[in-house]
Amino acid sequence: MSSPSSSRTGWKSVVLSHEMLLAAVLVAEWLLFYHFGTTTNRRGMVVGFGTIDRQFDILRHSCEIGLLALALTPVILTAGIDLSVGSLLGLCAILFGKFWHDAGLSIPLAAALTLLCGAIGGGLNAGLITKLRLPPLIVTLGTYSLFRGLAEAITHGSVTYTNFPPGFLFLGQERWLGVPTQAWVFLAVSLAMWLLVHRLTFGRSFRAIGFSPEGSRYAGLPVDRRVGLVYVLAGLISAVAALIYTARLGQAKADAGTGYELFAITAVVLGGTSIFGGRGSITGTLLGVAAIAVLKNGLATLPVVIRMNAAQEMSGLLTGALLLLALTGSVLPKLLSGLRTRRHGG
Amino acid sequence: MNRYFRELSVMGALAVVLLGLAIFAPAFFQPQPLLSLVTREAPTLIVACGMAMVIITREIDISVGSLFSVCSVCAGLLAARGWPLILVLPVSMGVGALLGAINGVLVAGLRLPSIVVTLATMVTLRQGLNLIRQGEFVNLPESFQWFGLSQSAGQWTLVIFALLFLVALGLALRHVAAGRWIYAVGTDAEAARLAGLRPQWIVFAVFVILGALTGLAAIMNLVQSPQVQPMVGAGLELEVIAAVVVGGVAISGGRGNLWGAFAGLLLLTCVSPALTHLHIEAYWEKAIQGAIILLAVVADGVRRKKSNNG
Repeated sequence: MSSPSSSRTGWKSVVLSHEMLLAAVLVAEWLLFYHFGTTTNRRGMVVGFGTIDRQFDILRHSCEIGLLALALTPVILTAGIDLSVGSLLGLCAILFGKFWHDAGLSIPLAAALTLLCGAIGGGLNAGLITKLRLPPLIVTLGTYSLFRGLAEAITHGSVTYTNFPPGFLFLGQERWLGVPTQAWVFLAVSLAMWLLVHRLTFGRSFRAIGFSPEGSRYAGLPVDRRVGLVYVLAGLISAVAALIYTARLGQAKADAGTGYELFAITAVVLGGTSIFGGRGSITGTLLGVAAIAVLKNGLATLPVVIRMNAAQEMSGLLTGALLLLALTGSVLPKLLSGLRTRRHGG
Repeated sequence: MNRYFRELSVMGALAVVLLGLAIFAPAFFQPQPLLSLVTREAPTLIVACGMAMVIITREIDISVGSLFSVCSVCAGLLAARGWPLILVLPVSMGVGALLGAINGVLVAGLRLPSIVVTLATMVTLRQGLNLIRQGEFVNLPESFQWFGLSQSAGQWTLVIFALLFLVALGLALRHVAAGRWIYAVGTDAEAARLAGLRPQWIVFAVFVILGALTGLAAIMNLVQSPQVQPMVGAGLELEVIAAVVVGGVAISGGRGNLWGAFAGLLLLTCVSPALTHLHIEAYWEKAIQGAIILLAVVADGVRRKKSNNG
């Protein structure tokens, strides 16, 4: 599966080139939308993609998916997967609404409890995966259904929590120091994850586990505990994303975050993290998130798409296609080298 | 322990649920609603058979729901143009097989993980369909209703066909060489290769078959309603995977059979009417289905751990 012969510098240059390539794609995408998506309206004002408001809008909208992608990066680095993050986001949003509205708790207390619930949700995944050695895929497929189902059951499919106090909505709808408030949270989590995954020995073990769980165990790493932690962390960050989602929309509904797991996984894979584990970076994930966010929002500013009224379908279609392309691209070198060795090896 | 313990325990659970319904909600067993319920699940059974084969080879396909919608809409459009059923059926199965082949090439040819590949094709197909059709319904000609038969005759046709198909495929998996190949690949692909099989081709074939069966199921669903709704297959993948996994087909490949998958499907099918009859709100359905999936895999995990220790 892996290529142990490639030297450390060679490996590094591959990651670097992937990230550079993605950054180039991002810039090209941005310029394209800037050119075709910016127009001047009748009063002579610039509208569409090229405005600063629109750029902040993109940032605002990418925070939740960005957080989920950050949460998924270590999961996928350990060769796991978590399909339940979108559903957990929905469940946490509902629980937050319930704690605040029905139980009458203060916002900070409700938020803290919500974070705890997110960690417990992630802990459920972690326990099943590490204690019972169940495949992450099927466990998180089960919790994907369970969490969303609980959210629907709690709200009877119809209750929506609204009327949150302005102090809380500040988190999702206002700006702090000139930048959307949630971007600061996103920045903080990004930095923390970057430190964890790239700078701490603790987090660097994720990649070792992804490369070879058995080898990591022989090397003395507490594999189960580390893998478990990764899923708990994913649950916790999903809860953070839930708070931001609720604050941005000003309402908590059971369908919050439906399908977000796809966008998050796409961002991670697009960012160069190998779906087989062991390889990838936080920087790549952030670039992947940006590429998807610009695509999603940029499409909505194109006159053609506006005329067809199909921005959502277009962005979903292109994201899916992009994921397929990124996947195919990620295995092409391996496939080619495989063919070559097969020919040489006879 | 009996090697079919897992299947038997699901059938036992099903028996308990049916018994509970018989005692607390005998209305469940009224023949006409029961027949309708079973008929509604007949297409799901066909897809579940295909899904069981895919999971036995240690792969998974979560794009079947979108595939189902695409096949339904294609078939519906042709039917609305006046094509007879006998021509629409092979086209629908062909479209399904073609889309299944795309998954198959990506999974078997490029060795990409099936979960991510089919996640991508699921969304691409669904959004592509929404983009083209904009959620429009397709009205079907009268002659398509229950194959032009009366309703109960049509229902019986579907149910009997689905059961015959189940039995035929179930026996084939057990007794025909090609059926054993699927288990061989799922148990140990490398060993299968050394034994002279071609694992990649078998995985590819299984995805194509699942696609074709989804096309068939789309037609079986089509004849039950006067129009095609484009969201028709949404969520089908979860229902089918849940049924198969609950029925004892191991997600780690190489284990399970169609009888278990059938029992799993029946068990999950009983959940929603049981909820209504027992006066539990229907909003719990998804949560309970998720819990049943988790329970099934936990049971597998506990059993495996015990057998490892003992």
